[in-house]
Amino acid sequence: MAATKETMEILYNCGTLFIILGLPFFLSGTVGLIRFPDIYTRLHALTKADNVGLGCIVCGLALQSGSWAVTAKLLLIWLLVLVASSASCHLIARSAMQKNIEPWTRS
Amino acid sequence: MIRDHHVPRGSTLFDVNRHSFLRILVFSAVWWVLTGSDISSWIVGIPAVLIASKLSLMLSPPSQCPLSLLGALHFIPFFLYQSFRGGIDVMRRTLLRQQLLDPGLVSYVTILPRGSARIFFVNTISLLPGTLSAKLDENQVTVHTLDRGMPVWANIQALEYHVAALMNISTQKKNCL
Repeated sequence: MAATKETMEILYNCGTLFIILGLPFFLSGTVGLIRFPDIYTRLHALTKADNVGLGCIVCGLALQSGSWAVTAKLLLIWLLVLVASSASCHLIARSAMQKNIEPWTRS
Repeated sequence: MIRDHHVPRGSTLFDVNRHSFLRILVFSAVWWVLTGSDISSWIVGIPAVLIASKLSLMLSPPSQCPLSLLGALHFIPFFLYQSFRGGIDVMRRTLLRQQLLDPGLVSYVTILPRGSARIFFVNTISLLPGTLSAKLDENQVTVHTLDRGMPVWANIQALEYHVAALMNISTQKKNCL
């Protein structure tokens, strides 16, 4: 990419911003894993928060890379992680249902 | 209600070629993304792409309803926005001192046909705010929700509509042919 030094700098800083934005999502995913009461609610925390966190970090790294090939590779990684995590999340929840694990309820 | 699609018997040679060509193109793009501009990597890449295309055609035969470009243009922003909302929602519930949980199970009957559309739908439910697909029985999806006060039904219905548009599936009785 033919870009001047200044635009590169701006892109790099935007990337850093995105990466910083992604970190609290990972933190909340982990906090949810510890704090939430049962297997189903923990799955919620892990899949959703981590996917958004990874999305932000992928965006940030893509902006910093300054290359289309690296951007495409990062997007492919994110897509594969999305597919893997939603499918495994569903499979874990399904096997919990088959074992008759009752969801925690507020009562 | 939507009937299941049947792949027509005796599809013409042209159709088969078009589908294989598309898959070869997609897998070649994936290989290029993985290896970069290294030309010698194609010594391994060409056989890998051909085998992957053949396997994918065997495991998931081309459906009659191809992806709709317009549907994809609607689906991608919808999906990104919803998953971002999902992340914010989980963050709010985990990090606040008092726990805002009222989980429960919700049952939903989908009109999407069995096959890739239904599986795609079930997998994306888990990425929406507050919902997680826990079981799929024929056309009945059991959804676990973090908060029974959320408009779970409306959210899932919106997603179903977007998936139908993406897969070119009419929500009326008429099917795409």
